[in-house]
Amino acid sequence: MRRRHGGIIAAGLIGVSLAAVFASIGVGSESISFAAAWRDWCAGRPLADAPELAILLQHRLPRTLAALLAGGGLALAGCVFQALLRNPLATPYTLGVASAGAFGAYAATVVMRSAGLALALWGFSAVQVCAFVFALLDVSLIYLMAVRRHHVSSSVLLLAGITLGMLSNAGMMLVRFLSDPGMLAMMERWLMGGVDVIGYEPVVTLAAGVLPCSAVLLLQAAKFDQLGFGAEVAQGRGVNVRRLQTTTFLLGSFLTAVIVSEVGPIGFVGLIVPHAVRSLTGSRHRLLMPLSFVAGGAFLCLCDIFARIVLPGETPIGIITAFLGGPFFLYLLLRRRFGDWET
Amino acid sequence: MGRRLESHSVSFAYVPESPVLADVDVGVTGGEVMGVIGPNGSGKSTLLRLLCGFLRPARGAVLLDGQPLSAIRSRERARILAFLPQTVTPAFALTAFEVVLLGRYPRLGPLGAPAGRDREIALRCMRETETDGLRYRDFGTLSGGERQRVLLASILAQEPDLLLLDEPTAALDINHQAGIFALLRGLARNGYGVVVVTHDLNVAGQFCDRLVLMSARARIVAQGTPRQVLTRDLLTEAYESPIVVTEHPITGTPLVWPEPASAGGAKP
Repeated sequence: MRRRHGGIIAAGLIGVSLAAVFASIGVGSESISFAAAWRDWCAGRPLADAPELAILLQHRLPRTLAALLAGGGLALAGCVFQALLRNPLATPYTLGVASAGAFGAYAATVVMRSAGLALALWGFSAVQVCAFVFALLDVSLIYLMAVRRHHVSSSVLLLAGITLGMLSNAGMMLVRFLSDPGMLAMMERWLMGGVDVIGYEPVVTLAAGVLPCSAVLLLQAAKFDQLGFGAEVAQGRGVNVRRLQTTTFLLGSFLTAVIVSEVGPIGFVGLIVPHAVRSLTGSRHRLLMPLSFVAGGAFLCLCDIFARIVLPGETPIGIITAFLGGPFFLYLLLRRRFGDWET
Repeated sequence: MGRRLESHSVSFAYVPESPVLADVDVGVTGGEVMGVIGPNGSGKSTLLRLLCGFLRPARGAVLLDGQPLSAIRSRERARILAFLPQTVTPAFALTAFEVVLLGRYPRLGPLGAPAGRDREIALRCMRETETDGLRYRDFGTLSGGERQRVLLASILAQEPDLLLLDEPTAALDINHQAGIFALLRGLARNGYGVVVVTHDLNVAGQFCDRLVLMSARARIVAQGTPRQVLTRDLLTEAYESPIVVTEHPITGTPLVWPEPASAGGAKP
């Protein structure tokens, strides 16, 4: 069992990701001449007079950045949760973060509509705020149930998370049952997710949530290698296990809550991207974690390109991540390249 | 001038009603192998975790070179004493060499990136435990004996002064048991202090310098050389069941057996 050189894998993945980013900027319903856009840029024309430049700067670029940040964050959080819970199925979504967020969004939509309010808070819509708050409420409850004196119980985290996820789903069904069809359509669309942002406000929000959390998580990579051998081994090596579990659980959840509230509960990225990368890198977290971020961002960019061009109109990106990612994941599973999990 | 790790009248209980340890005084110094023996539930593993600093004593203190262990930062502690739990099950597949290299963690910088020197040390530790031939093997495919040796190499890679091992030979055949203990003996000769919890009284009697015999009544029955501790009376008291002690035909060290039930012994 020899390892391929980390540098080569990293270079390859980063190369593919850059290609995805350029493709994402270049592809869309309007075909754009980069040369014309460049001329407009150099001439310093206002965006109103330079439609091609406007599409690039106001639509394509923010959209690509949003996909990169959201995909990267979701993949990194998934990778962290798999290591944290020593379970190949664990992601923030497994713990109900997305379901709770979606429930929050649903409830907000209904309450706002029936009360005739269009509430906004510091520029965030009530839907976003509720999604975020509910997602955080979910993880806080789970954490309080699972925390012990010297460690955090992985099995309680998982079981409580799955239970709260089911409760959120039931809550969502109740809201749907009680609300009228017009409102349902609106909510359904949100549930499928999408990075079809316009302008930079959502990108700034995403970046403010994703980048600092990711940086702190990436700094813990070496500790996750230790945790892979069990809490006692890690403790014997000088890792403060409870502190590691607490900080990374909360940061991973917070990051996911930011993403879900901004682009909706996009599924699958957090589960499959870390496994796919792991099949290349092995479980060396100092390599696996940053590359999961890169690959997650590229994967969501790629899915977004499909969302723009495959069907007329915008296909919800959640459908694409599942249709692209699912079969690929099964392929890995059947080829026994299912990461490096000892089972 | 080896390190000294000792407990001063340490008491501990997981639940207040049933104390696991009461007023326990033990100590290990660099250069010696101390065996901790006793029946199941006598608190051997708990004692080991107290000595590691994983558990805090309810009363008393654990001292490392006279300093309270609790006052030492966990990273610093990991450079002085290394712990090997009874069962180690990695969640991910790693090569034997990667497993050993992970032992370097407390000696690495904040990013945990091993350098060439760390690889050299890891390889040296594999040579010390005669596992360097296994370096590219998947850890999960190694035999029980090979695994224990690789894990031993991984805690040696921490470059500690004291080793604390919880039943390192529990799953091994007698040949590999003796092999691991001979290795520990050799390490002690090189200055390491070793604390080893074991159920094998005969191997313990042959390889340990000192033994601590614990009983299910939260206390230490006896400590001293194997000859002082492995006696019929003390063992019968600790295990609450009649024990026979004879002599090893070659080494002369004590050999221990439960008395057959027909001879009027074991409780129903």
